[in-house]
Amino acid sequence: MINSKHTSSSQKKLQILLPVLVLAGVILLWIIITYTNLFPAYALPTPGAVLKSFKEEFESGRLMNDIIASLWRVAVGFVLSATLGIPAGLWLGQHLYARQACVPMLNFFRFLSPLAWIPFAILWFHIGDKPAVFLIFMATFFPLALATMSAVATIPSIYFKVAKDYNYKGIELLTKVTFPSILPQIITALRVSYGIAWVVIVAAEMVGCQDGLGYGIWDARNGLRLDSAVCYMIVIGVLGMGIDRLLAQLTKLPNVRWGYER
Amino acid sequence: MKFTFGKLMLGIAVVLTTLGLLRYKPWKKNSGVTARDVIHEGVNKKATRELTVGYLPVTCHLTCPVTDFASKTTQTNTNFNSRVFSDFPTVVSALEAKQVQATFMIVPLAMKLREQGVPVKICYLGHRDGSEVIVGKNSRIRSLKDLKGKKMAIPSLYSNQNFVIHKMMDDFGMQPNDIEFIILPPPDMPTSLAAGAIDAYFVGEPFCAKAELDGYGKVLYYARDIWPNFISCALVVHEDLIKQNPDVVQDLVRGIAASGAWAETHRVEAAKLVSPYFRQDEKVLNYVLTSDPKRVSYVQLTPTDEDLQQIEYQGIKLKLLSKKIPMYELIDRKFVPNEIIPAPIDEASIPNILPAGKK
Repeated sequence: MINSKHTSSSQKKLQILLPVLVLAGVILLWIIITYTNLFPAYALPTPGAVLKSFKEEFESGRLMNDIIASLWRVAVGFVLSATLGIPAGLWLGQHLYARQACVPMLNFFRFLSPLAWIPFAILWFHIGDKPAVFLIFMATFFPLALATMSAVATIPSIYFKVAKDYNYKGIELLTKVTFPSILPQIITALRVSYGIAWVVIVAAEMVGCQDGLGYGIWDARNGLRLDSAVCYMIVIGVLGMGIDRLLAQLTKLPNVRWGYER
Repeated sequence: MKFTFGKLMLGIAVVLTTLGLLRYKPWKKNSGVTARDVIHEGVNKKATRELTVGYLPVTCHLTCPVTDFASKTTQTNTNFNSRVFSDFPTVVSALEAKQVQATFMIVPLAMKLREQGVPVKICYLGHRDGSEVIVGKNSRIRSLKDLKGKKMAIPSLYSNQNFVIHKMMDDFGMQPNDIEFIILPPPDMPTSLAAGAIDAYFVGEPFCAKAELDGYGKVLYYARDIWPNFISCALVVHEDLIKQNPDVVQDLVRGIAASGAWAETHRVEAAKLVSPYFRQDEKVLNYVLTSDPKRVSYVQLTPTDEDLQQIEYQGIKLKLLSKKIPMYELIDRKFVPNEIIPAPIDEASIPNILPAGKK
């Protein structure tokens, strides 16, 4: 693909430069819109006001507290749904009758918006971290289990035939054949459902929470402070992007790489 | 690096532990209490007991943070921590779970809770008046009749605003469906009005002042013009607390009453004091409290049977409440002090309050 060292380095530069240009363009557009009063100040806060509120939130220590709270909830909910969802998907993928029996139900729950669970989240888990973790779990478990299941179901049967020759059974079959062969798909599924979890955090923290990035937005709204809401939105976007990059690193690991080089 | 299952698990465990430690800070005393729970820690060493009181950032609940502040800067027996909520359903859940045992709440909702068997009592009121019907600044609406066929936002079916506006429509000889009512979160009302999505809204302060200050709304009716001595919110206390700790409730009601008396006469200072608690612009609060004495008042806050009966009657008429609850079950006036002395808050100490989290 890449012919020489020279083009590779200039391509890398371009890779960094282009997104920076787009970012600068968007900010410039924002500045122009607010300065020309295309939108009134109450409908779109100015970059200056957002920067100021960013400084304010950071200095009060609230922003750090909110970031940690949200990361913690997403991490717990996400790890919980991965530890339950991936094994469930593996098992369902290998058992045809169980799959036929459970898929409609799994699909049913997958299409329920986590917002629909809000009243129950409060009733069952009251206030604090638990309702938010529950909502994130509900939002990510079903897609993860379904993705794993369909990945297992599409493993070429030749793999299992070879495995049979090696006399792999049970756990050995799972760890030596099934799991490695679907690892690329699992990582993709993890990235997708992590994206869902991070999106859901705003809704999840709408209720029963006293801190967190999502709560920050609701709180800013209650306080009639759209500038601070925008500041929280930026933090949510940047963090989400950063963590996705981290998860993407998993695909570069040698054991998984094969799945991406076709 | 060779990717192994073990390494991945280790990585996840490290991330979770780090986040968990950062989140709960076990090395810190009072773990679990976040910056938002307590605005500033008590300097009141005389206080032997503590109580958390829930509130929303609306001027109807203003006396709650004032009491929090007063309990820390003046001599009281109980240290009060005000805890901010962002919506009433969460407050209800916290009350049912007894995570807070005293909170401010819209009156019809407290009636509904009582109806559903949650043992709560109304011990005092938040403030009088403090709500307005707002219409667009350049609109031609001059009276309620002009709102026929138009859209009006209200904060909740169980808000007294909803009850009162229906009473007024009755008085004007209008039919219940003459106005299209829309339930909106109060913070979205001013912007919805500006965008033309609604034609009017009826809600508590400071969401009315916001539209006026931003220059796109004006007051059509003050609550007191429609319903004299209008009540929006009340101090609601769980019966368990009243039974187990009547002294604390006594302190609480005395503190709230004293804060109200202080706020009534120190309006500028009150706006300054609560703005970090509410996380709202001091300018808006100042406008609410000082622009027109008709807007809010913090006196005459003992709930009377007549006050609440009127609300209950209207709720039953609208079929939002289903059962007539005797007033002695709903109201507990025994904690209201005979003489209300304004809280001795030292004005000089107010500007030194730092925003939440800053110690």
